[in-house]
Amino acid sequence: MLELRNLHKTFNPGTVNAKKALDGLELTLKEGDFVTVIGGNGAGKSTMLNAIAGVWRPDEGQIIIDGQDVTGMAEYKRARFLGRVFQDPMMGTAADMGIEENLALANRRGQRRGLRWGIRPAEREQYRALLHELGLGLEDRLTSKVGLLSGGQRQALTLLMATLKKPKLLLLDEHTAALDPKTAGRVLELTERVVSRDHLTTLMVTHNMRDAIQHGNRLVMMYEGRVILDIAGEAKQRLTVEELLEKFSAASGSQFANDRALLS
Amino acid sequence: MTIASLLATMPGAIAQGLIWGIMAIGVYITYKVLDIADLTVDGSICTGGAVCIMLMRANFPLPAAMLIAVLAGMAAGLVTGLFHTLMGIPAILAGILTQLSLYSINLKIMGKANQAINARNYDVLVSMQKLRNVPVYENTILIVAIFVVVLIAFLYWFFGTELGCSLRATGCNPNMSRAQGINTGFNKVLGLVISNGIVALSGALLAQYQGFADVQMGRGAIVIGLAAVIIGEALFSRIFRNFALRLLSVVFGGIIYYIVYQTVIWLGLDTDLLKMLSALVVAVFLAVPYWKGRYFARGKGGKTHA
Amino acid sequence: MKKVLTLVLALALTLGCALGASAEEETYTIGICQLVQHDALDAATQGFMDAVTEAMGDRVTFDVQNASGDSNTCATIVNSFVSQGVDLIMANATAAVQAAATATYDIPILGTSVTEYGVALDIPDFDGVTGYNVSGTSDLAPLDEQAAMLMELFPDAQTVGMLYCSAEPNSVYQVQVVTETLEAAGIECEDFAFSDSNDLAAVASAACEYSDVIYVPTDNTAASSTGIIDGVCRPAGVPVIAGEEGICSGCGVATLSISYYDLGVATGEMAVRILDGGEDITTMPIEYAPTFTKKYNPEICEELGVEIPDDYVAIG
Repeated sequence: MLELRNLHKTFNPGTVNAKKALDGLELTLKEGDFVTVIGGNGAGKSTMLNAIAGVWRPDEGQIIIDGQDVTGMAEYKRARFLGRVFQDPMMGTAADMGIEENLALANRRGQRRGLRWGIRPAEREQYRALLHELGLGLEDRLTSKVGLLSGGQRQALTLLMATLKKPKLLLLDEHTAALDPKTAGRVLELTERVVSRDHLTTLMVTHNMRDAIQHGNRLVMMYEGRVILDIAGEAKQRLTVEELLEKFSAASGSQFANDRALLS
Repeated sequence: MTIASLLATMPGAIAQGLIWGIMAIGVYITYKVLDIADLTVDGSICTGGAVCIMLMRANFPLPAAMLIAVLAGMAAGLVTGLFHTLMGIPAILAGILTQLSLYSINLKIMGKANQAINARNYDVLVSMQKLRNVPVYENTILIVAIFVVVLIAFLYWFFGTELGCSLRATGCNPNMSRAQGINTGFNKVLGLVISNGIVALSGALLAQYQGFADVQMGRGAIVIGLAAVIIGEALFSRIFRNFALRLLSVVFGGIIYYIVYQTVIWLGLDTDLLKMLSALVVAVFLAVPYWKGRYFARGKGGKTHA
Repeated sequence: MKKVLTLVLALALTLGCALGASAEEETYTIGICQLVQHDALDAATQGFMDAVTEAMGDRVTFDVQNASGDSNTCATIVNSFVSQGVDLIMANATAAVQAAATATYDIPILGTSVTEYGVALDIPDFDGVTGYNVSGTSDLAPLDEQAAMLMELFPDAQTVGMLYCSAEPNSVYQVQVVTETLEAAGIECEDFAFSDSNDLAAVASAACEYSDVIYVPTDNTAASSTGIIDGVCRPAGVPVIAGEEGICSGCGVATLSISYYDLGVATGEMAVRILDGGEDITTMPIEYAPTFTKKYNPEICEELGVEIPDDYVAIG
């Protein structure tokens, strides 16, 4: 479903701020994989997701989604394969537009946008039903501006938007990191529900080791722009946080000292 | 200098305000919807006036002259859009570059700095002459008001379509828009094209109204447009929430601006200071919501245009 | 006591109003709309007010407004004048006259600092009288006098080249008039029109080949490219007579210079004739500056060896 071949990316090349963010990254996802990604700050987790989404072109390497090489494809064109949820709740929705308008925008991902009416009445009922499932009371606020919603509500809505048109690949970029623990838990629960219901191939970046172990069928650890650990199936089910930290030290040859706090 | 004489100046102020209100709707589309301060308008308003007048003088039928004027304005917007998206020039600078080149182009369109259209010899649609003592259906205020209503209806429809919605999303959150498969570059160009077409329409009306097009007529237009947008928003945003009504509030902003302007002139204040007054009015109206957001914040997450 | 006082005051007020009303029959209001703050335009406005005040004293009040260079503001200003019902509008510079002429077909409008009214007001086949409520003064130095000056300085000239920008209707008009005057005196004239500053040098070279003297009218493009004209004509030894002082200081040997103050005075005298003399503005021809000064460019004259009579003033 997704293939990353030898990806390289350096930011600000040739300056004192040069930063090698991806360094020969290789990763392959099978259809239906739910992969959690962990790693310290600057390990290249978000950079990987941005490369897949096409925010910029990698310096080197190939990105293949569902058999199609999308390395040079514009971000907005690639969007038809992808559902994306960002860390910042502000980033995934249009704050000045209504809830139903945001959903209608997402419902047309990958389609030509013409001069037909932006929201058809039938859609409204569909959205109402979907929002009802979230259990956040948003189904009665279809025309409210998204800017008035809380962070958790916005992330739940963004998740709904990302999966409204079933994507080939769902990219979750620390999408619960900015939420309080209780809300984060609910959004994660919702994520699990949607992903298993639609059998979505998913890449979920997280700072939380427990979440990484608990969710998905496969866990990937990144360090300095590469994958250093890839555990799937039964082995992943049995993992503990302590084991993960040990494995990190062994694979990277360095202490997790700085990142321990962030990863716990 | 009586109140009656001030009231007598109002039809003129309202007509002028309505025409500039159309221009302000164009500014609204770039500044508020697309979140771009587009300085092309200083040139494209004159382009609209110049093209319309030259074609009328060449005996083109009025509707054709005005339509081509609008198309010329749209072409100007297209150039700014391509400067911005294809060539990666920051939007403000792209607008300034187009505005600068439009100065030469407008001179070439007119052949000189100033061209007159004599309302006695041509069937102008609007004119200072047609404010009083004409049949109601020829009254300039009515005719411009019809333009405003039709324009707002059109824009209300357009921004409700799939394409229009995606344009609003582009201005509101470009990252999210691209993630939802919206071609933000194309949409920015489209928005600039529509905006400058509308601005050129107001230029075509303005030139007929005052009886001439002048290469200087667009100087500072962006400030008047912004003033109308900001005044309209400051005064009516609590009552007018619907998109069509917000566009209407922009037109009211234009009318209020010209009523104030007319009153300043009627009072006989030193007109040397007019430009500074205009700039100050815009600055104050811009600052008030900023201060409100900053020092009297209620709730979080509000987006302020500082 | 209080009541008496009130009564007295009321009486005084009524009386004052009545007196005011009777005096009002002979007083006039003139609205002055000036396009931009500029030495020449300021002088014209001043001349106008001085002339009117001298003739009519304080029976006239002025409402002086300046559009600060914004042609759109002219519309706002004249709208104010028309609504107030001023007795006469003095419009200083082209855009002001255009706005005023569009705003009212009734109130007399006197323009000044306008070069050619036929062009400014879009009147086909203009013959010096607009035929409606607009008249005024032109800042064009009289063209026949310019032709006369050319012949005075260069009595032996056989051929004169007319160098001007084809895109400027004002220039075309001036060249026509000057050509007529010169040809009546037996001098051959030939047009050398350029389209913009890019082909100016080539056209100027051709003009130098042909001419004994070159005439450049009041032309905006020429005015902004005097360096090019000078660079071609001075080495070729061909003198240039210019239509106005700015061009002359850049590339000409001599010109006729008008005084904008005097032009304003002439306009003011027209206003007095309309207001007090009851003259009909629709039949009043456009007037030109009553006095003008012959000026010369000492640097170029010396280099080309042109003899300048004593009544010429050096530009400096």
